[in-house]
Amino acid sequence: MAAGSALGVLLYLGKAGRVKLVSILCTCYIEAIRNTPLLVQLYLIYFALPSLGINLNPIWAALIGLTLNNAAYTAEIYRAGFESVPKGLREAGKALGMKPAQIVRYIILTPATRNVFPALTNQLILLFLASSIGSIISLPELTNAIMTVSNTTYRTIEVLTVGGLLYLGVSALMSLASKRAETTLFRWAVGTHV
Amino acid sequence: MFRAFDWQDLIPLLKGAWLTIQLCAVSGVLGIIFGVILGVARTSPSKIARWISTIYITCVRGIPILVIIFFIFFGVPLLFPGLELDKFVSAVIALTCFAAAYVAEIVRGSIESVPKGQSEAAEALGLNYWLKLRYVILPQATKIMVPPGVGFIIGLVKDSSLVTVTGLIELTHAGNIVTNLTGDPIKTFLVVAVMYFVICYGVSLLGRLYEKRTGIHVDPLKLPETAGV
Amino acid sequence: MLKGLDCHIREREVVCVIGPSGSGKSTFLRCMNGLETITSGSIVINKHRLDDSKSDINLVRQEAGMVFQHFNLFPHLSVIDNVMLAPLKVAKTSKAEARAKAETLLAKVGLEKKMNAFPGNLSGGQMQRVAIARALAMNPKIMLFDEPTSALDPEIVGEVLAVMKDLANEGMTMVVVTHEMGFAREVADRVLFMDEGLIVEEGTPEQIFSAPQNARTQGFLSKVL
Repeated sequence: MAAGSALGVLLYLGKAGRVKLVSILCTCYIEAIRNTPLLVQLYLIYFALPSLGINLNPIWAALIGLTLNNAAYTAEIYRAGFESVPKGLREAGKALGMKPAQIVRYIILTPATRNVFPALTNQLILLFLASSIGSIISLPELTNAIMTVSNTTYRTIEVLTVGGLLYLGVSALMSLASKRAETTLFRWAVGTHV
Repeated sequence: MFRAFDWQDLIPLLKGAWLTIQLCAVSGVLGIIFGVILGVARTSPSKIARWISTIYITCVRGIPILVIIFFIFFGVPLLFPGLELDKFVSAVIALTCFAAAYVAEIVRGSIESVPKGQSEAAEALGLNYWLKLRYVILPQATKIMVPPGVGFIIGLVKDSSLVTVTGLIELTHAGNIVTNLTGDPIKTFLVVAVMYFVICYGVSLLGRLYEKRTGIHVDPLKLPETAGV
Repeated sequence: MLKGLDCHIREREVVCVIGPSGSGKSTFLRCMNGLETITSGSIVINKHRLDDSKSDINLVRQEAGMVFQHFNLFPHLSVIDNVMLAPLKVAKTSKAEARAKAETLLAKVGLEKKMNAFPGNLSGGQMQRVAIARALAMNPKIMLFDEPTSALDPEIVGEVLAVMKDLANEGMTMVVVTHEMGFAREVADRVLFMDEGLIVEEGTPEQIFSAPQNARTQGFLSKVL
């Protein structure tokens, strides 16, 4: 059971966000991911790829699936973040003679991140909860552990309750941690809104 | 033993899709009703109402929906021995419980977005809490609620895929069955994915229509997003 | 933050409250209909005590009408519905009666032609006049104005002040927080100068404007007039 929750934690730690990209391909990718269930995406990766010759164990399949999935949502969050930065900042950068890439890196990125930080941490928590879906493709994470234990002990209610509390505890901790992180990382922005 | 994926396999998939739509419609409506009640309780001046609703919302949103589905489907018959729950019913209950918490947060956000001056003007005229809520706050909050509400419905459609663990033959489960018959998971699940896409994208188009008609646009930063569930 | 006030407002009296921002003028006003709560002392309006937890605050609020700086009209209701809402739902008057009263009041403030318009289509001055009609619809004993013209363009200020002047001449008890010194001089029976949560000086307009006694009053008036 401990291994189950440990793996769940490791999984969501391994995810990387993606910065906003421009092109139709990306839009298609993002829309495709956002309008289909994660489970179906995992099924496609886990069941479908073997027939193409790629054999994946559940851990890799889930890792890839969750990463690809999360990237799409993170991209949207960052898009909102970028759009929320007042145009004036960008213009100031141009007036100073900076190149577009420099403007993005030094001027836009930090305020954008600050504005979407709550959404990003929320996404992280959701990712943690979404890892439970991996149990359906036999990923050895917490929900899977719950089902296994309850099948062997027949004490479903207790196991479910304990498992539920574990999830609740971790997500609550993550919420608190993210609030603390927000004030620490963005001390310059406390009390203002960029 | 396996036959090739054929047009006739579309039929069970379409049936599954139809069941998914029904499931989401029922859970959606019920979820909205309970969600509004919870959301109002969450913002009410009564401490007890706030406490109870906050506890419920925090618990439900802190647990994966899969666990909730398990709890309702496996746990309830154990708690109430002899109670037989139809798969559809237990799925609806689980999804409704989850949806209510999510909708409640949307409702809370919209109520808090209504400018404070409106509340003060209503109070200055002598309207009590319920009158104020009914005639001043909620009419304005409802308009704000629609765009994130659309997002919630899309999330619900995707979450319904998890109901597959109960054996209910909604779209994902139908996909499983067809895969077992045809041995072709790629084609099958691609079709399944496309069907989900059509449903979800359709809902979001409806939402965009509404936005155009009423001119409401919500700041996406203020909304809770669903992950790829 | 109010530091300690003692004030008695007589019927039919028009009291104007002036002072720098942050002096507590708005807070003072908002205490009178319970939008701000007091920590000690008592407020009595027409024999209703506000600080008594047993008394229903909403009964008191029916006696006091309030007009806000930012109008706070209900955007989802038409002008006439805005005016009729409280009489219908709080005072429980009949629809016909409420409608008749609303039409009379809107005519009084000069907006009978805009009965079915929505606040989004009105100018600031028009909105504020509707707000006055809305507050009057409850037959209040006292009207509270919280900087009613501060959010208006200068050309429009006049039409709102005209309505307020008529109201004063008809004998309505009014407390007006304002920066419009001309209005205060012309219409007020009494002027209160507030600073840092206290009433520093009070008197008739002639006394305050022509011969202020207190140094702070003098300082404020010299900057403003």
